[in-house]
Amino acid sequence: MTTVYVPGDASAVAMGADEVAAAFRARAEVTVVRTGSRGMLWAEPLVEVATPGGRVGYANVAPGEVGAVLDGSLDADGERALGVVADHPWLAGQHRVTAARVGVVDPGSVTDYEAHGGWVGLRRALGMAPADVVAEVTESGLRGRGGAGFPAGVKWKTVLETAADQKFVACNFDEGDSGTFADRMVVEGDPFTLVEGMTIAGYAVGATEGYVYVRSEYPHAIAALRRAIEAAYTHGFLGDDVCGSGHRFDLHVRVGAGAYICGEESSMLESLEGKRGEVRAKPPIPAISGLFGLPTAVNNVLTLCTVPMILADGGAAYADLGVGRSRGTQLFQLAGNIARGGLVELPFGVTLRELVEGYGGGTLSGRPVRAIQVGGPLGAYLSPAQLDLPMDYEAFAEAGAMVGHGGVVVFDDTVDMARMARFAMEFCSLESCGKCTPCRIGSVRGVETLDRIIAGDDVPANLVLLDELCETMTKGSLCAMGGLTPMPVQSAIRHFPEDFDRTPTPEGAAR
Amino acid sequence: MGNDIARQLAHLDEEEAVTRIVAHLDRFWDPRMRRTLQALAAAGDDTLDPRLAAAARRL
Amino acid sequence: MTTLDQPALGEPGGYAPEPDLGTPPVASQADATVTIDGRQVTVPAGTSVMRAAAVAGIDVPKLCATDSLKAFGSCRMCLVEVDGARGTPASCTTPCADGMVVSTQTEQVQRLRRNVMELYLSDHPADCQGCARGSCEMQAMAVTVGAVEARYGNGRDHLAESSYDASNPYFDYDPAACIVCSRCVRACGEVQGTFALTVEGRGFDSRITPGGTDFLSSECVSCGACVQACPTSALQEKSLIELGMPTRVVDTTCAYCGVGCSFRAEVQGTGEDTQVVRMMPAKTGGANEGHSCVKGRFAYGYTNHPDRQLHPMVRDSIDDEWRVVSWEEAVAKAADGFSAIQRDHGVGAIGGISSSRCTNEEVYVVQKMVRAAFGNNNVDTCARVCHSPTGYGLNQTFGTSAGTQDFKSVEQADVVLLIGANPTDAHPVFASRLKRRLRQGAQIVVADPRRIDLVHGPHVEAAAHLPVLPGSNVAFVNAMAHTVVTEGLHDEAFLRERCENVDSYLAFIARPENSPEATEEVTGIPAEQLRAAARLYAEAPNAAIYYGLGVTEHSQGSTMVMGMANLAMITGNIGREGVGVNPLRGQNNVQGSCDMGSFPHELPGYRHISRPEVRAIYEDLWGRTLDPEPGLRIPNMFDSALAGTFRGLYVQGEDIAQSDPNTQHVEAALRSMDLVVVQDLFLNETARFAHVFLPGTSFLEKDGTFTNAERRINRVRPALPPRQGKDEWQITCDIAAAMGFPMPYAGAHEIMDEIAATTPTFAGVSFARLDAEGSMQWPVTDAAPHGTPTMHVGEFVRGKGNLVETVYVPTTERTNRRFPLVLTTGRILSQYNVGAQTRRTANQTWHPEDILEIHPADAHVRGISTGDLVELSSRVGSTTLRAEVSERMPAGVVYTTFHHPVTGANVVTTENSDWATNCPEYKVTAVEVGVANARGLTDAEAAARDEREPAGRS
Repeated sequence: MTTVYVPGDASAVAMGADEVAAAFRARAEVTVVRTGSRGMLWAEPLVEVATPGGRVGYANVAPGEVGAVLDGSLDADGERALGVVADHPWLAGQHRVTAARVGVVDPGSVTDYEAHGGWVGLRRALGMAPADVVAEVTESGLRGRGGAGFPAGVKWKTVLETAADQKFVACNFDEGDSGTFADRMVVEGDPFTLVEGMTIAGYAVGATEGYVYVRSEYPHAIAALRRAIEAAYTHGFLGDDVCGSGHRFDLHVRVGAGAYICGEESSMLESLEGKRGEVRAKPPIPAISGLFGLPTAVNNVLTLCTVPMILADGGAAYADLGVGRSRGTQLFQLAGNIARGGLVELPFGVTLRELVEGYGGGTLSGRPVRAIQVGGPLGAYLSPAQLDLPMDYEAFAEAGAMVGHGGVVVFDDTVDMARMARFAMEFCSLESCGKCTPCRIGSVRGVETLDRIIAGDDVPANLVLLDELCETMTKGSLCAMGGLTPMPVQSAIRHFPEDFDRTPTPEGAAR
Repeated sequence: MGNDIARQLAHLDEEEAVTRIVAHLDRFWDPRMRRTLQALAAAGDDTLDPRLAAAARRL
Repeated sequence: MTTLDQPALGEPGGYAPEPDLGTPPVASQADATVTIDGRQVTVPAGTSVMRAAAVAGIDVPKLCATDSLKAFGSCRMCLVEVDGARGTPASCTTPCADGMVVSTQTEQVQRLRRNVMELYLSDHPADCQGCARGSCEMQAMAVTVGAVEARYGNGRDHLAESSYDASNPYFDYDPAACIVCSRCVRACGEVQGTFALTVEGRGFDSRITPGGTDFLSSECVSCGACVQACPTSALQEKSLIELGMPTRVVDTTCAYCGVGCSFRAEVQGTGEDTQVVRMMPAKTGGANEGHSCVKGRFAYGYTNHPDRQLHPMVRDSIDDEWRVVSWEEAVAKAADGFSAIQRDHGVGAIGGISSSRCTNEEVYVVQKMVRAAFGNNNVDTCARVCHSPTGYGLNQTFGTSAGTQDFKSVEQADVVLLIGANPTDAHPVFASRLKRRLRQGAQIVVADPRRIDLVHGPHVEAAAHLPVLPGSNVAFVNAMAHTVVTEGLHDEAFLRERCENVDSYLAFIARPENSPEATEEVTGIPAEQLRAAARLYAEAPNAAIYYGLGVTEHSQGSTMVMGMANLAMITGNIGREGVGVNPLRGQNNVQGSCDMGSFPHELPGYRHISRPEVRAIYEDLWGRTLDPEPGLRIPNMFDSALAGTFRGLYVQGEDIAQSDPNTQHVEAALRSMDLVVVQDLFLNETARFAHVFLPGTSFLEKDGTFTNAERRINRVRPALPPRQGKDEWQITCDIAAAMGFPMPYAGAHEIMDEIAATTPTFAGVSFARLDAEGSMQWPVTDAAPHGTPTMHVGEFVRGKGNLVETVYVPTTERTNRRFPLVLTTGRILSQYNVGAQTRRTANQTWHPEDILEIHPADAHVRGISTGDLVELSSRVGSTTLRAEVSERMPAGVVYTTFHHPVTGANVVTTENSDWATNCPEYKVTAVEVGVANARGLTDAEAAARDEREPAGRS
């Protein structure tokens, strides 16, 4: 009997992993385990075969190649034979904490989870006072992985210390940034980690109910999560008496309806309440008045999925990683025009160059890198001159950029940065909730102004106008959506001014 | 109308009921209505509740 | 405060909207002192910077903020800078913290505001009618923030794609002028609680919509809150569009239901040319705090209706035509006629009836005329037919004939027990307050045969609906009290300290016949459900009872009022905020007309006529001896008329021929009289039997006071001069004078001075003080110089609370084989009472006819479908109306409203009445319903019935 691991992750499935798995299943001598993805998206479907020496991997396997995989003959000396996957340099160089089990375990198996260190953090937490759990998370230096980077322990402390009959933990799984997929991969590959992380959070802040707000575009993740929650209830990790501790924690999944803005935490809370996804003014902060007006710890998937490891291994171990005030690891997602896209978890401090040129292997097109957008569609465009920036919240902020949720999108030298600036405004105009004026009207005027610039129409005056508009949006918007949209626009103008130096074109005149 | 009052006070003992009916009529009824009631009671009108009739005689 | 003679009429600046501090007040123990633009101001901690600035006299520009709504933070016009804080926070959403230093006019925020305004204007009509008119804030705000450029050129706008919605009869929606500030949406939710409006689409495509349809077809209840909230002209009163901006404001009080909302009558012109532009609810109004309903806000057009009578008229016989005469001739004919009757038939042969729609001053002079000029006590009021049991029951138990709380009290209630009332239709502004409290988590138990909107609706879900069968209220309330007492949930300490007859009452109520199980068959309420409701009520920190005519208009109405008072006392729910027993009064001045001595047995202030020391007060002042015996009540007047001992009647503003039960009896009585004097706006049904018609004034022409259901005395100020040339109180005084008893007053304020001088509970009331303080809740005494929002604090008015044994005695009105169903009646939002006013307005749009609601099972066996014309008959009469099959009704009970004369609900109601007060038993009539003959009413029949003017019962 041979055990074969075929990823069930959406990215692998998109590359034909289901057909490959079916082909393996057709063989009597094979047991197929569907795992998550290791994150080597450039290699999917990446099939692993259990051997005494470890799990040996093969890249880009087609259904017709299962025989060759089983007898070890597939591209034996070529690049597709990856050897022991865990030892592959692309993985071996990483420092996996949050994503340690992703691609390794069977996401449907609560026992497999336990066998790989699952529930250790929860059990330890339940033996501590809630305030001590919060202190442990504070000590770890863990900051919000959704993008804002707010210290998780500080947030939890506020919720813990706000008196209320009912409190909530709400997980933001509305991963809407273009070029990001870490939340999805972690939940698809290791959903129990999220269940455990939220349960610990609930215990720590005094919440007995948790909600996961997940985007409808993630059907595989939704299914994996629901399966995991059901299993956790069955095995006593959720419900009235978590692990026999007497602590209650119930977990619910709520599916969004396709609005980017619902990834903004206050809009997410509105949506969870059944209302139109619209940003709330702050204060009050959600930690004090969140879901249904009650104290709520709102955290991103990655933040919550890091908590079990922190509780298992201690806050200090996590805090030992990283640089400056950016402690621990970040899950970087390499995307766009890149040779080897995928999930790279490394301690903060790694340079952008190591990610783009090292792990990423440069552009897929083979042309020179011209621009990198880090931190999602609202993140700054960086130039190759900035490739040595360390991935660090503060260093990026100083450079007028942001780490955000860790998305890294690469462009080659064919990109027109004026059009990318226009795209930022257009994205905002399409996804604005419509509540505040700078975002609602400003983004539309931004598109129009950039159209005039692209058409070469009175460029100097329009650049001045655009600059004032960007100031209005940055300082005047209600939330980060409108407030950050100028970041890609202004960074594009700053680093690529030549793309904005236009003269009238027939194309522009027609517009 | 008087019978309605008597019906509402039917749960009381006779003396208490009659006293309260008298008080109510004194307090809320126009004298000419009381006189009419007294006349009916004196004439032995058998549509009157007995307690109302007793009260009328005591007015 | 403006009145007719104060402002410089029509001068620029004569009109100003009510001040708007931007965000609501904050209640906080702690204060915060902040410095804004160099000025120090101290506010409750948590108050917004915007509000603190406004308090300090600094106006921060704003568009999405208004102080009736929670801060929203969307327009970004109010950005400020705070020392030591990052960025430019919105002042509306930033709370004041002690020591904060704020700058509202830095170069940076001024630039940001100009640039935001530039964005707004890039999507605002260049030819905005509202901006031109002055009713759109955009123009004014653009001026405020300084020179705004227009650099964006011809970009996208939403102007062309917008479709104008003029479907609502009172206001228009012009999406082109809309800036999507959501003030309307929030007002509909936060203030009104209807949630009819929403934002559709997102980003630039965000549009306000009443649920994807037009306003008229939507769930909108036309309360006007959205129009009031709109900062632009996107939502605008039709009247303002037609007439333009008002030039001055008259503060006054609504004349519809007993909530008694304060309004700003916004008018143009002077003297007889004065026109009301719109009625705006006043934020300073204690009863409504800036909210309104479709009636008070919009339905005032009846005051100019062609049916309005403006000239005195007389005739010798009711078969003659009316003859227009001078005031002098009409008054003389009335006075001479009354005097002649008294000469020939005795002092007691005449009397008067006053109206709950008139002011305290108008009502006071009627009883004064009757008691002093007529020399008898034959005075009664239309409260007889609505809330007389409230007066009796609360007086017996608590010692005063009035509700115990102010409306605001409901904001402290944890459980509300609502009995026989339908506030969302009949008392909408109170209902909005109640719904807001329910959204905050308070629970409501609805005891009503009908599944009213408060049982289940947007953001409302009753903890229980107890469909108590009509006529079984006393059994129900006794079962509630039985549960409380036998389960040990009563407040022993409160009972021992504050009440009397405790032991006998506890023994009575614990008797098995009062148990939920024993009464289940009578009440129709499953025992366990009733027990759960009783526990909920008894165990709440604060539990409050609110009730309406579903309590009073029964043969045991007075007993039921006492039963509710018992329930409140045994649970200690009296004497503080959030609790109490609270009548929802039907008419604007039911409370006041009762207070003013309108009942035949009582002088003003509920003091019995038999008390010599009270009579002496008036005898000394008036120089006349008063009759110490009670006079005739309305039904007694009719009986005496038929007996020939009562021959002359003065009727002020009440249509007894329509409002009182047993129509044939009433008409025969009126016909038998020598002189009937009717004073009214319209030639009503009673006027068919009148010899003298004296035209009255609408509330827009009155100077005086109304007293609402919370005992709040509110000023009514004339927005217009009396259209018929005379104040109503003056008419009454003229008749009295012509009968030899001059009642000279220089103005209505002198009448109130007399009331205050003679009535202890009104001792501190005067027009001057009301003008200064806005309103006051009686008692206003030396001990409570600013009035008494909550009564019976520490001690009941009568000393100890009186627990009364409330034995359930069933009505004699029973269903039988011929009349197997029970009819009960109620109201609908858009119409008021018998519709004399509202039917003469565009409110007709929503409710053009009365509908009979019938349970599907009852409808099925009778072959009735929704829309069928059905005949409704009782043992006294029958009428025809349209049916609606509805599960709102329990089986066996049918329901209709009584707003339309053609329906003639009183044609079928019986002459049964409350044992103590003769309040008619309108709520229980045994009836049968059947499909009417196919042709229904002919046009001629319908027209003939429509001509009949309906009258009021409150």
